[in-house]
Amino acid sequence: MSDILVTAFLLSLVLLGIHSFFGIEIIRRGIIFTDLAIGQMAALGAAASILFLDGEYLDLLALTFALAGGAIVAVAARRTETHEAFIGLLYAFGFSGVFILLSKSYHGMEMFQKLMASDILFTPMSDLIQAAVVYAVLGAALLLFYRRARGLLKEALFFVTFAVTVTIAVRLAGVLVVFALLVAPALTALRIRRGIPIVNAWIIGTLVNLISILLSYNLDFPTGYTLVFSHATLALAIALFVPSKKSTAEPVQKRT
Amino acid sequence: MRHAVVGLFLLWAIAAEPAIARPLHVVAAYPYIEDLVETIGGENVRVFCLARGDYNPHVIIPRPSFIAKVRRADLLVISGAQLEIGWLPPLLRQANNPAVQPGEQGFLDLSRSVTLIDVPASVSRELGDVHPEGNPHYYLDPENILLLARTVTDRLSRLDPDGAWYYEGKYEAFATLWRAKLVEWSHDMLPLKETRVVEYHKNYDYFLRRYGLVLAGTVEPLPGIPPTSKHIEQLERMLKTEPARFILQDVYNPDDASRHLAGKLGMILVFLPHDVGAVREASDLVSLFDEMVRRLTQ
Repeated sequence: MSDILVTAFLLSLVLLGIHSFFGIEIIRRGIIFTDLAIGQMAALGAAASILFLDGEYLDLLALTFALAGGAIVAVAARRTETHEAFIGLLYAFGFSGVFILLSKSYHGMEMFQKLMASDILFTPMSDLIQAAVVYAVLGAALLLFYRRARGLLKEALFFVTFAVTVTIAVRLAGVLVVFALLVAPALTALRIRRGIPIVNAWIIGTLVNLISILLSYNLDFPTGYTLVFSHATLALAIALFVPSKKSTAEPVQKRT
Repeated sequence: MRHAVVGLFLLWAIAAEPAIARPLHVVAAYPYIEDLVETIGGENVRVFCLARGDYNPHVIIPRPSFIAKVRRADLLVISGAQLEIGWLPPLLRQANNPAVQPGEQGFLDLSRSVTLIDVPASVSRELGDVHPEGNPHYYLDPENILLLARTVTDRLSRLDPDGAWYYEGKYEAFATLWRAKLVEWSHDMLPLKETRVVEYHKNYDYFLRRYGLVLAGTVEPLPGIPPTSKHIEQLERMLKTEPARFILQDVYNPDDASRHLAGKLGMILVFLPHDVGAVREASDLVSLFDEMVRRLTQ
């Protein structure tokens, strides 16, 4: 294969590595749309930087807003029963906020797209390496402290690392690709009864990524959308045609 | 003697400097450029076009082939004036082809050969390369097309000097046809002189100026910003006292606000192509302007 898609493929693997962990966690916690909400909050920070500071401190503002979004979700997840509704509203808040801010900025929308909506196909190798290093550090921190941490500290560790991860990932690959890599392999892995979920997610995700990249190259499909489509297709197929873990592991008769 | 040998060798080296092999691989940013380069380059060029004529020119959906084509291109022709700002820089970087980087012979920014309108007197402090250079839709002034054809001819001749006579011939043929069409379009558009029009996006300013139509307002409050209720209200009030005849709508933006205004104020809503391929009838540069004129004068 030509080197055109090597960076895209490597990026999909780098993203998959850490997102599998978060994917499994957010599915277990039932806060699946958190990444969309946090991504949108990061976008709101970027839009604020474009409008008020002509695009200066864009990364800093995006990250700050993302962390604030993470904190809000963390609080909501503890306080309310209906946290998915709350997370959805946070997404809507960020989304509409971006449009309101940019409506006051001449050519702000173009600048916003240029800065925020990058395509996985166009990721430079340097950005990929940066992301890999940051994710390695975050991954190490999670590996060392996540199991041991308790209570508020555990929550803080989870949401801070998650906010940083999502902010970087969305800048590199766009909201949809990040969402697919986060949720689809984790969802499928959790339905497999054998092995460790995160390892299963890595194996499944890598295979799907490889197939998507080959499809995109050979059929000249937009790379990001092909990734999203393949991941979604596999996850949907499994959800529809493979009996779920619960119904087979704990048959209904057992309780009667 | 020795000097003579060295001299001869140098002469040979210069003469033997590999000219670009035909066909020249050209990547065009937009369909109108594709048609222009094909018209001038004829069978000496193979043109690949990046953007689609019926999409918003400010965005593309990148595919792997885009990188492959730019990577092996001899010439990249863009419209410029920041129309491609959202997608060209990362594509250029990823394709990593030194021959078509800005400043090289293989990079041609067509906006440099025309005069742009709406150039802001002062530019606010913004990120380095996003300074507004003026309205980028200059190619919808049909007189500009001749200047662009000239620029393309010169550049192809410089890249492929042996083919210069061929490109000149193609240019002459095109210029003759185009001049005849210019007379025809001027004649057909004459009755519309001084006609007041509203446009959705500042797409057609050059076209309107050329034929003396008067731009009364835009449906967008600012370029690229969707219409707000307050702006529509103001526009409506203004149009009630000073009516306009047409609302010009492009094919890629939502048309609900324009429909609302047209219905309420009795204006004629006209969908005007903004590039080759925007509507079925506009299959090349000539038919693009034919169709624009036809839709306004029918």
